[in-house]
Amino acid sequence: MQRRTFLKALLLAGMPMRVLADESTKAGAPPGEFFVFIHASGGWDVTLWADPRNEKKGIIHPASSENTDPSQVRHWVDAPMEDGTRTFEMVKAKSGAHFGPGIGDLLDVSDRITVVNGLAMNTVSHPDGSAFSATGRHLVGGRSPAPSIDTMVANELGREQLFPIVSVAFPSAYVGDGLDRRVVPLTVGQIGSVSRSLARTQIYDADTDRDEVTAMLSQEANDLAARSAYPDVLRGVGLQMESLRRMLGSKLSDAFSADALRKAHPQFNYKGRFHGGNSVNAAFAVEAMTRNVVRCVSFSLGGFDTHGTNYRTHAQLLQETMDLVAILLKSLDGVPHPTLAGKKLADHTHLIMVSDFCRTPQINMQGGRDHYPNNSALVISPRFKGGLVFGKSDPEQLLPARSKKFVDGERAIAPPDLLATFLSSFHVNPRKYMRDGEIVPELLKA
Amino acid sequence: MNRAHRAALALASLAAVATVAVACGPKEIVPPEVGPKLTVTSTTTQDSAPKEELRMVPAEAYMRTYLTLFGGLAPLEVQKRARGADGAQLFDTWDDYFASLGFPDYRIDMPRSQQTNALMVATFERLGVALCDRAVEHDLKAKPPVNERVVFAFEIPPSGATLDKAAFETRFDVLHRTFLAYPAKLAPTDRTARFFKLYEDVHKRHAAAPGKPRLSADEVAWANVCYGLVRHPEFHLY
Amino acid sequence: MSLSRSPSIHENPTTMRTLRLFLFVFALPIALAFVPASRADAAAPAPSLDDYRHFRAVAIDLLGRMPTRDEVAAFEKPGFSLDAWIEGHLEGGTYTDRLSRVYMDVLRLAPSPSTQFAPDATTLYRHQILGHDKKPVWVYFRARQRRTREETDGEFCLTKEETGVEIAARMQPKNPAEMKPVSKAVLEQHTVLVKPWWLYRDYLSTQPTRRYKMGWDDPDPTYQPVESLLNDPDGKPTMEIRVCREEAQTMTTGHVYVTGRTPPPKGAPMPNGRTRPLPLDSAYAKQHKDEVISCQSKLAVESSTECGCGVALEHCLPNESDQAGGAAFYFPNHIPLGLDQPIDSARQQAQRWYPFWWSQEAEHFLAYLFGADRDFREVLTARYSVINGPLAQFYRAIQPGNCCGGEANFGMVQETEPLFLPANVPTELFPHDVRAWKVVPDRGPHAAGLLTTPMFLEKYASARARGATLYTAFLCKSFSSENAELMPSTEPNLMVRPGCSNCHATLEPLAAYFSRIEPGNLVFLPQQLFPVKNEKCKKGPNGKLPGFCDAFYDVSFADAAGATLRSAYGSPAHADATPAGAGHDIVQMPEFAECAVQRVAGSFLGRTLTTDDGPLVGDLVAGFKKDGYRMRPLVRAILKSNAYRHANNLDSSVWRGGAK
Repeated sequence: MQRRTFLKALLLAGMPMRVLADESTKAGAPPGEFFVFIHASGGWDVTLWADPRNEKKGIIHPASSENTDPSQVRHWVDAPMEDGTRTFEMVKAKSGAHFGPGIGDLLDVSDRITVVNGLAMNTVSHPDGSAFSATGRHLVGGRSPAPSIDTMVANELGREQLFPIVSVAFPSAYVGDGLDRRVVPLTVGQIGSVSRSLARTQIYDADTDRDEVTAMLSQEANDLAARSAYPDVLRGVGLQMESLRRMLGSKLSDAFSADALRKAHPQFNYKGRFHGGNSVNAAFAVEAMTRNVVRCVSFSLGGFDTHGTNYRTHAQLLQETMDLVAILLKSLDGVPHPTLAGKKLADHTHLIMVSDFCRTPQINMQGGRDHYPNNSALVISPRFKGGLVFGKSDPEQLLPARSKKFVDGERAIAPPDLLATFLSSFHVNPRKYMRDGEIVPELLKA
Repeated sequence: MNRAHRAALALASLAAVATVAVACGPKEIVPPEVGPKLTVTSTTTQDSAPKEELRMVPAEAYMRTYLTLFGGLAPLEVQKRARGADGAQLFDTWDDYFASLGFPDYRIDMPRSQQTNALMVATFERLGVALCDRAVEHDLKAKPPVNERVVFAFEIPPSGATLDKAAFETRFDVLHRTFLAYPAKLAPTDRTARFFKLYEDVHKRHAAAPGKPRLSADEVAWANVCYGLVRHPEFHLY
Repeated sequence: MSLSRSPSIHENPTTMRTLRLFLFVFALPIALAFVPASRADAAAPAPSLDDYRHFRAVAIDLLGRMPTRDEVAAFEKPGFSLDAWIEGHLEGGTYTDRLSRVYMDVLRLAPSPSTQFAPDATTLYRHQILGHDKKPVWVYFRARQRRTREETDGEFCLTKEETGVEIAARMQPKNPAEMKPVSKAVLEQHTVLVKPWWLYRDYLSTQPTRRYKMGWDDPDPTYQPVESLLNDPDGKPTMEIRVCREEAQTMTTGHVYVTGRTPPPKGAPMPNGRTRPLPLDSAYAKQHKDEVISCQSKLAVESSTECGCGVALEHCLPNESDQAGGAAFYFPNHIPLGLDQPIDSARQQAQRWYPFWWSQEAEHFLAYLFGADRDFREVLTARYSVINGPLAQFYRAIQPGNCCGGEANFGMVQETEPLFLPANVPTELFPHDVRAWKVVPDRGPHAAGLLTTPMFLEKYASARARGATLYTAFLCKSFSSENAELMPSTEPNLMVRPGCSNCHATLEPLAAYFSRIEPGNLVFLPQQLFPVKNEKCKKGPNGKLPGFCDAFYDVSFADAAGATLRSAYGSPAHADATPAGAGHDIVQMPEFAECAVQRVAGSFLGRTLTTDDGPLVGDLVAGFKKDGYRMRPLVRAILKSNAYRHANNLDSSVWRGGAK
């Protein structure tokens, strides 16, 4: 029986929801939490970091001097292979877990990270994989049938926040019932656009004038909504007008310009070969959370789709990715929480990093790796067990292997399970948004 | 529980029993039977209304309209004129607004935005203000013949005094048709009165302002009326 | 400047004549036939709010913008017929844009930021050296160019001894401070001066004189070489460029160059001060010594010393840098309103020049298809396309340089059956003709609508991705394997492998249609030289194929009798049917018409159609087929439907039985 059918059967049979969702869902949403969602766009090679492989076994052809340029990869230590090429030594973390050399500076904080391996993707299509990782649902007719994790979280915990979600090329989706229009992701192509859109000149007009216009339009939207049988869109515009008034009132334009962010957060590597430009997204996350104006920041880091000779630098790309996350984490460690006295921002910031899928265990004719229906994910959250690697893939084909016994039987963990678990850790009933997925208590702190 | 609900429950129970029976019992052949003709007990109007929300004006249509209102210029020319040489910083570049206006970016598989969001509303304001301020300069300050004005196709009295409601209404209707494509009197809300109040409020604030501002009180008031229409929900939805 | 966007194809007189003829013969009678009841009567009631809103919606969908005040005034006049107005606007740039957007939103046919196209055979890099007068000079060259001089064979044409620095493609000089003047004799011996195509409009003449903005005073304003290609290092306008002698050769054929070199002993010093080993003779070269080969091929740059970039370097694209990322031209990043109305202009990498135009070819193909109201099935079957100058140069002179390497082992030394036959490229299109778009009636026998355009093949780079896109975009079906468990297995046939089969049983045969187009380089593998089952590629006792087979044949589907062409195992018949067969087969499926109707109607109604829309869709599909799969009647029917008129209506009274 398919999982979906089984779950439906359970629901029809009147099985208590607590089997599917944590009991604590009634406890109410906690205050002051912040979220970062990162999409490693293109499909990453998990054998170079989360699910390392350094032996030719089955169809697995590990990264080696033949296909990889290890010169810039700090944790790459040569290990000979039978064919005369050199692969890498496993990188051992404090927790005892093994990683590949792409782990970068995340190794320093390995006791705080949760890695999920062997995620069953059942897709090798970029749009579908991205959507599945972010929403827990495959595309239907090319469209996402469910909201993405940032939308779900913002709808529960960020409606009142000035910027519920800022989404920079992340596969954010606002789909489904029961969503507040204020949490439609603020989609931008680059983070500097936020500042540009909020810039206002004082030469011709005054803030008071524009504010009066906005208030009047908010009223117009609400009045039109009251006359409409399907008022959601108009009500949404009314709410968004109100949000705009608050945004402009907070005078954030200057602080959120790309230049200002770089200056305020020089710790990020803005000259990085792969993510130099995107590092400013992480700087924005730190700045906006410090100011307590954002709830979720979602962004993409590209370049992972390495079918050809560009695979040679995949390990460097991963290293730079993990370095960026490590810098972000260390930055949050150094910032007091804006509303919770005595707490650091890092104590209440939760990060998930996913990708479309992983890459094939074989090297292709062009010297790269193609798409493969397995995946790994990274979670850094004070509510998740640190230093944990959960799930696995099979040793010879890198396919997702059964990780535990779920309600519908023993199987590999899948993105809906991870997302459901994440939601549940904030006392949100996953079933409110998600059709599939089961909470995995093993991932959570007691 | 109402009657319909009870009936539905009964049917569901029956279906459940039937399913079990079919699953567990021997095959049974039920001969076809013509039932009694249904009688009409009451009639009601069929609900043929649309069940959909308003949709967002596509970003391309928004931009073409914007260019038209700017005098039918090309995007880069509009960018140049909106930015101006006066250091007003009314406009940045189209690229800065590309994603927040909702355009898809096929290069990175970023889909078209189908819903408005607060940042998009902010961008609409930013662009709307630039349009209206430059239109005030072009139409009301430079005063070309009325038939050459794209936005403020009417005269305002040179005295600078506030217009009365009737005089305002005539002019407001011109703007309403320009931006929302129908007469103001058909607006479902008490729109004209609201805008008149806005006009008066702004006029009053700026008439009392010290110094020699770039725009007169009347010009600022009309600029604000223009903002209200170019940012109106009906402008962005259809 | 006029706001209304003229589609670029309208600049082509032939296309315009065709369109006008069509409008006169077909559209006008249709328009007259459809003139409906209107407010002809002066006593007709004034338009209601709903009427205004309907008009506005139609304007947004057909004009691509909101109506102007004058258009609203015309709408209010007695006698105005909305039906006639609609009829009159089912054409033109914004109409075709509206329809193209439906499919561009689905297919997203634009090159990703990482898309690069810079084959060695057609890319000219340049390095700065010092001339004998100590003035800096740019010298252009190709990577891997074969030369008879051993010191520079396969390398830059001047040695480190001559320039003072070590120069190589895609590498910065290691010791630029040690650069020394190159003697005049050496420079003239190994380089020549050329008036290149990118600087001269009349580059094909023996004495070009019409230099960009100096004699050629009316270049297309959107043809903009970067400043560094226009000016010498001293800032003076570039009138000629210095090119390595071999690259400047103009012959159409050369001979296979064989040196008889043997691999040097391990650890032996490099000869002649070289820092990299001398190129060795390839297996092909050894077997075909001195044979004539075309200079327009990948093979030529690697196997002949007599082949260059052609007249005025027409077969090569310049790069201002010694790196792959150097710029060549300005062109936009974003053109949401079409090529005529860019919203930016950026100095872009040379290797993105052709991918940008590939994307534009796809857009112009759709614009022509919809603008001329052609049978929509041609989206997958047409042999025509619409190209401009850069694309003409690409198909005529650049793409041939993408082949052949490993293909030569199967007897293909230059592409024999290209997707776009160079002979069919209009000769009157020059590389600078950026805004001149021409309809090419026949690309060649393998052309299949969008499916064989470089942009589609680049965006969907594998046979499976291409097959999956056909299925989702044109049949509105999805591959979704939800919760199937993938168990380790050695079964290579995904059509039977547990967990995979439920998608791949359908996908693999679709992918097979594309097995004759190499992933990544647009090269077509002809049946005659690359049979689906190839006896040359027998599986040996060691379980392997002969080395030269691996790139084209799949060892997983091989036996002692031969191997199967990659991606073809799902359906050998489909492999031989090629994308043209895919187009032919897909458009005959009943889902094709329904999918087209759903996409277009869904876009105009602003929502996904549901089963509640069944009757509407049924009527539209029947009409669409009856009208020969033409979009204009379909759009007309949608705009006149009650569903459209009442879509997203604000008036709440409508929901209560129509009582106002």
